[in-house]
Amino acid sequence: METKEFHYRAYRPRPFTKEERSKTTILFGGLTWKHERLIQGSLERMGYKSMPLPNIERQDLDIGKEFIDVGACCPTTFTAGNLARTLMTLREREGEEGVKNNYLFVTIGACGPCRFGQYHESYERVLEGLNLTDFRLFLLDLMQMEQSAPGGGLEISMPLTFGLVYSMFYADLITDMEYAIRPYEVVEGSTDRVVKESIELLYEKLKNRPIKGKKIDSLVWHVFTGYFVDALKEVRRLWDEIEVDRLRVKPKVKITGEFWLQTHEGDGNYNIKRWLEKEGAEVIPPPVAVWMDYLINMELFKLEDAKGFVKKYYLKKLAIGTIAGLYKMVYNRLRKALNNIPNPLPDQRKLKELARPYFHYRLTGGEGHMLIGKALYAYLNRQAHMICELSPYGCLPNTMSVGAMAKVLGDYPDLLYAPIEIKGDAEVHAYSRCQMILTEAKRRAKEEFEEVLERTGLTVEDIRNFEEDHPELRRATYKVPHYGYAGTASNYAMHIAKLMGRI
Amino acid sequence: MNFLTSLTLLKKRPLKSQGDRRSIKVGIPKFLNIWGTHQFWVGFFQSLGVGRIVFSSDTSEEQYREYGKGRITMDSCFPVKALAGHMGELLHKDINLLFVPMIYSLPSFLKGHVVDTLSCTRVMMSVENIKAGFLRERKEFEERGIAFVSPFVPFAEPELLPKYLWESLKEHIPGLTLEETARAVKEGFRALEDFERKMREKSLEIIRWCVKNNRPAILVLARPYHMDPGIGHDIDGEFQQYGFPVLWYNYLPLDAWLLEWLFGEEIRAGIIRSYFDISDVWTSSYSSNTNEIIWGAKFSARFPWITGVIRLSSYECGMDQPTFTPVQKIVESSGTLFFKFGELDETKPAGSVKIRVETIVYYLEKYSQDIIKKKLSRLGAVPSQLLV
Ligand code: SF4
Ligand code: SF4
Repeated sequence: METKEFHYRAYRPRPFTKEERSKTTILFGGLTWKHERLIQGSLERMGYKSMPLPNIERQDLDIGKEFIDVGACCPTTFTAGNLARTLMTLREREGEEGVKNNYLFVTIGACGPCRFGQYHESYERVLEGLNLTDFRLFLLDLMQMEQSAPGGGLEISMPLTFGLVYSMFYADLITDMEYAIRPYEVVEGSTDRVVKESIELLYEKLKNRPIKGKKIDSLVWHVFTGYFVDALKEVRRLWDEIEVDRLRVKPKVKITGEFWLQTHEGDGNYNIKRWLEKEGAEVIPPPVAVWMDYLINMELFKLEDAKGFVKKYYLKKLAIGTIAGLYKMVYNRLRKALNNIPNPLPDQRKLKELARPYFHYRLTGGEGHMLIGKALYAYLNRQAHMICELSPYGCLPNTMSVGAMAKVLGDYPDLLYAPIEIKGDAEVHAYSRCQMILTEAKRRAKEEFEEVLERTGLTVEDIRNFEEDHPELRRATYKVPHYGYAGTASNYAMHIAKLMGRI
Repeated sequence: MNFLTSLTLLKKRPLKSQGDRRSIKVGIPKFLNIWGTHQFWVGFFQSLGVGRIVFSSDTSEEQYREYGKGRITMDSCFPVKALAGHMGELLHKDINLLFVPMIYSLPSFLKGHVVDTLSCTRVMMSVENIKAGFLRERKEFEERGIAFVSPFVPFAEPELLPKYLWESLKEHIPGLTLEETARAVKEGFRALEDFERKMREKSLEIIRWCVKNNRPAILVLARPYHMDPGIGHDIDGEFQQYGFPVLWYNYLPLDAWLLEWLFGEEIRAGIIRSYFDISDVWTSSYSSNTNEIIWGAKFSARFPWITGVIRLSSYECGMDQPTFTPVQKIVESSGTLFFKFGELDETKPAGSVKIRVETIVYYLEKYSQDIIKKKLSRLGAVPSQLLV
């Protein structure tokens, strides 16, 4: 009888031990440079050396296609190509042994049947293609607070998890500030400069944060400490210095879409947020935090459905409800430190209800019902003039929810919705599709502003004169309340009218 | 408190005349994972006493053209788009309830051995997607006097399954209670199990014939709906014409003596934990059909008389994409021949299929006996049950 060993085996990384920690660099990627820099700070505090993958470039798409099976969605292809490019560069610099021993790559899996839960399968093709199957690639489950990679070198503990959560919150909030302010900055480049300074300041804060407790005591400390809020108060002072002109009438464009594409800033989505800004829009970027909030609340909704069948229902509901509540509370405390300029997280229950006639909330994968819920929420609450949905070529769930949007648009014909398919190599086509709808959004923003002037009897000159006596109004951190208009200029004019006692 | 007792405590609706139910004519589109669960639905609705169950016909280009086109709101793989044709066709049939389940998770023989048994995200979401094509301009179902019911169906959550079904059907089936729905679900599962048992017995018969005559068989690895001639284009049938018995991965025999022969050694060596463990070759075992395809690939790699594997995959199939290399490698790791018919769309590529089948048959005829011998040499003595 021949040997019984069948040759094919799934990839299993060799262990990463505690002793290797100080000399092994953890590679990671997939978010914006802001998120990644802050994650680096959090990891360093826990004693890990780390390095984000380089920015996604157009060439990553081609490199990715070379290695992975045909027909992959564009985020999988881009990220696989990015990993391949990084490993090739490192191999050139440090040799094969150097790459294998001095680096490892950590990726997040997300409990699902779309490719997000299977990214690592494609990454394994990269390792095979590069003849680097000895290189270590670890998959961590996003929803598991405590886990470790084989060998114990990488431990996901409570303090590390919270460090990562704060990194994500911080980067989201700074990104929100950035997009709310840059279109109105008086001195060009001042926002970008302050974004960089803010991230560096927060990186230092995360890198030097105190580690208090290990389990529940750590949780309590992280939730209630003033440390993270105080850091943001320092950041706020940097933003105070930016002068803005909110009278620039701009259409507000809310970005939704597939998780990776919508948060990404770079060639992977044709840099569409920057492009929109250049075209005269104000962009509402999607925070990563919304997605985590969605995952937590989904657990709650599922539990509610199972009422009558689960043991200790009320206790479990209380536990998940508390986590969801604390999550929001922490986010809101941080927002407050920035004078509430960043947007609040949407109410997940509301999103679920809004989407319900069009998309069942338990259909999970990608952003699930949220794509429809967010579009409707923004429209009905007059948060934006237009929704730009970034839809990856070859995506499984996204194609389905974009299709379901057809009925939403039938019911709300006024909703300006631009689903943009992102292939990675068809930039002009995507821009021109977006441009068509943006033109209408611009018209609406202008009309809306004129309506406000008419309603309040104000002229631009009146507002300018008022600003001269109240210079604080031109501070980036001055909070303009929402008066039911989508546009920043419109709400601002309403606010001035109110301050002047005209409404 | 057991599950059924807890159900009786929940509010019941008074039962109206049972006779009303006989006037209910349920239309079910034969799409996606209705293939593989249709016997459940037959058992379920029969238990509820509805008058008639009408399935749409097999997918065809004509059906899609006549009833489906113009209702597609977003391009995707053809098995999803075909749903529009099935729903459209049923609207022209004598039905008053159009039942299109959103199948979230599936019954699977691998349950308990894998992380999850979910449907492809497009499978579960397809209904909301295609529904929009019928409703965006008019209320098409209402205008035709047809109630549209599309429950969320988690086969892997036995407590919630009756609840979701009851919630969506109670308005349409007079007097329906949750308790009765739970019983109907049981009947559905029984019908499905009976059907699957018969199919697996059939496969075993085929396998025994192959052993007795020392003839090779072909295994098809695909999604269950590739059995639909309009989706899988009858490619398996082409091989039967050449005298090759064809087995489908989802109806392979699961008898313990057979699996012990194929996998027992690996369990003892600590490579896998059970006959149904696929973690040695596939770690993201979320998707039910994918898991079963992977398991089928493992089976084919070990079973001597399966000498060739035919992989069918639809154009733009995102679920199959990450599995292409692993499945091929699993199959080929034992010398079994592997052939892929990818990118299947609405049109049957008849000419090229014929040519490829001829070539494949040539290889199968040339190498099968060697492959059988080689694979036999890896295993212990052929179990007596196979030699019956
Ligand atoms: S959501 Fe879509 S684009 Fe994102 S990983 Fe899944 S299949 Fe790919
Ligand atoms: S498994 Fe593939 S062919 Fe089937 S619905 Fe999903 S993407 Fe389409």
